[in-house]
Amino acid sequence: MNDARADVRLAAVRKTFGSVVAVDDIDLEIPRGTIFSLLGPSGCGKTTTLRLIAGFERPDAGEVYIRGQCVTPIPPYRRNFSMVFQSYALFPHLSVAENVAFGLRMRGMAREERARAVSEALELVKLGALADRYPRQLSGGQQQRVALARAIVIKPAVLLLDEPLGALDKMLREEMQIELRNLQQRLGITAVFVTHDQEEALTLSDCVAVMRNGVIEQTGAPREIYDRPHNEFVAGFLGASNFIDGTIVARDGATAIVETPAGRMSLLADSGIGKRVRIAIRPERLRIEPVAAAGLPARVRDIVYRGPVTHFYLDSAAGPLLSYQQNAGASWSIGDEVACAWDAQSAVVLDRERT
Amino acid sequence: MKTAWAAVLLVPPLAMTLLFFVGPVLYLFWVSLHEPSQSELYGAALTPQNYTAVLGDSFYLGIIRRTLGVAAAILALSLVIGYPVAYFVALLPPRRRMLVLLMLIFPLMVSNVVRAYGWVAILGRRGVVNTGLLGVGMIDAPLDLLYSTPAVVTGLMTILLPYMVISIANALTALDRRYEEAAQALGAGPVRTFLHVTLPLSTPGVASGTLLVLLLTLSAYVTITLLGGPRSKLLVSMVYDGVTAFQWPHAAALAFILLALALVLTALILALLRPGRVQGTGR
Repeated sequence: MNDARADVRLAAVRKTFGSVVAVDDIDLEIPRGTIFSLLGPSGCGKTTTLRLIAGFERPDAGEVYIRGQCVTPIPPYRRNFSMVFQSYALFPHLSVAENVAFGLRMRGMAREERARAVSEALELVKLGALADRYPRQLSGGQQQRVALARAIVIKPAVLLLDEPLGALDKMLREEMQIELRNLQQRLGITAVFVTHDQEEALTLSDCVAVMRNGVIEQTGAPREIYDRPHNEFVAGFLGASNFIDGTIVARDGATAIVETPAGRMSLLADSGIGKRVRIAIRPERLRIEPVAAAGLPARVRDIVYRGPVTHFYLDSAAGPLLSYQQNAGASWSIGDEVACAWDAQSAVVLDRERT
Repeated sequence: MKTAWAAVLLVPPLAMTLLFFVGPVLYLFWVSLHEPSQSELYGAALTPQNYTAVLGDSFYLGIIRRTLGVAAAILALSLVIGYPVAYFVALLPPRRRMLVLLMLIFPLMVSNVVRAYGWVAILGRRGVVNTGLLGVGMIDAPLDLLYSTPAVVTGLMTILLPYMVISIANALTALDRRYEEAAQALGAGPVRTFLHVTLPLSTPGVASGTLLVLLLTLSAYVTITLLGGPRSKLLVSMVYDGVTAFQWPHAAALAFILLALALVLTALILALLRPGRVQGTGR
């Protein structure tokens, strides 16, 4: 990808705090008009990566580019970005309208033009009626919208979002995810979104980078990350997964025949014949069938009813298994002897070479 | 039941305040409204004369003006000197910050009298400054540095400066650095970040520091007496003089004029700084 289409690019960026490596030689390209999520547990370096793009942290090595310009030596206030903080950081001594106008004032925009841009931005986040209020008079969700309006009104090259929905309750958070996504697509903004919530990352993003210990474990579209995780960490971080060990017994081009406790199946794998591999299967892809059927014999240990789905916890020769069943089909009881099966395209061989 | 107990707990402090503060103040006001008496605390007849005499006398108006001038000078100096120090202190790591704050508090452990005499030793006719200047031949005769308004301002300001520094440093330490980052993200450089964000958000600290310094200035006695002498008296000195001359109603009236002055200045400072606008819960 060339710089003309990438609004943000990190080239071998490294950042340490004392002896801790927060960001370890990261390369990243964020195409124009997309939402790019940095997903990972706390301490994985996702926020540091965001702050490196902003310039609040200086990298120990590597370069940061915004719209093709190397901004590594440039201070934050001369970089073309804006940011929504987890705490919102709305200026408490300024009204909603003055908060939104702040960035325009710093850019020296004329008063009338500024007023128009501010009211437009407030309309976008549906807060036109609250322009004269002060932040402390607003609810958490409203403050969040003001922070968003303040960030988009300056039309930045990239919008940085540091867990912006983390302080909202679940209902409001899901509503804001959709709204944020719509707004971003309507305005064609490039955004970098930091979150530890995998559902949020899947809902919002065009592309997700899963991070651990300062390293990006896998980058890809939400569906790709979820359905074809490269390793156990990515598979486990993006929701539950069943892990089953197998052995490659034959190869045919890119596919390999893998011997598993549930029988032989042909899967995409790089390793040679005789190698042990680990296979991941999502719980919703694991079928439960009568004991007579072909498959991995198992016994139902526990059943948790979750409304639209029921979670079945099973014990098998290959270890404990988890299966999500839609609550329309057949039902099983604790202690039932069953057979677990899955389609070959639902199984992923882990720790393949990174593509 | 719970509120009843709370009311019971309130009784002792309330009684103390009424008995030893509100009562005496009201009594003092009552005294100030009477004519003087040779033999009693105050005479029989009610009169506003104690107030009108002071406010119509150019000597007393001059004293009030000097008092205001000294207060303004001390406030301005302690703000200009104190704010940068506080800003520096707030940037220090916690342990170092505690150490510096302790160092700032340390002078407060030494008596005002001792510190005022320190200034006498520095500014007096045979003090450090005069002997030094005479020694290098820059002056021929000692300068009259002591017993002047500048001496009062210098002495009192150095005593009160820690209050200003500590108040502002506390406000700046408690300030969420995200506000400054948010300003930078919106294109504000260091100067504009300070002017538009840091300074307004530190107004609660500036207000409490300013009020502490102002009220302590208005009520200071020892320092201004030792450094101002008979030529640079302030309103407090006049109250004291009135008392020693047994002019109780006159002294009481002066005390209330001082109180009124303090209240008006406090209201003015709060109206100017509006610390309340940043103190609401931000959620």
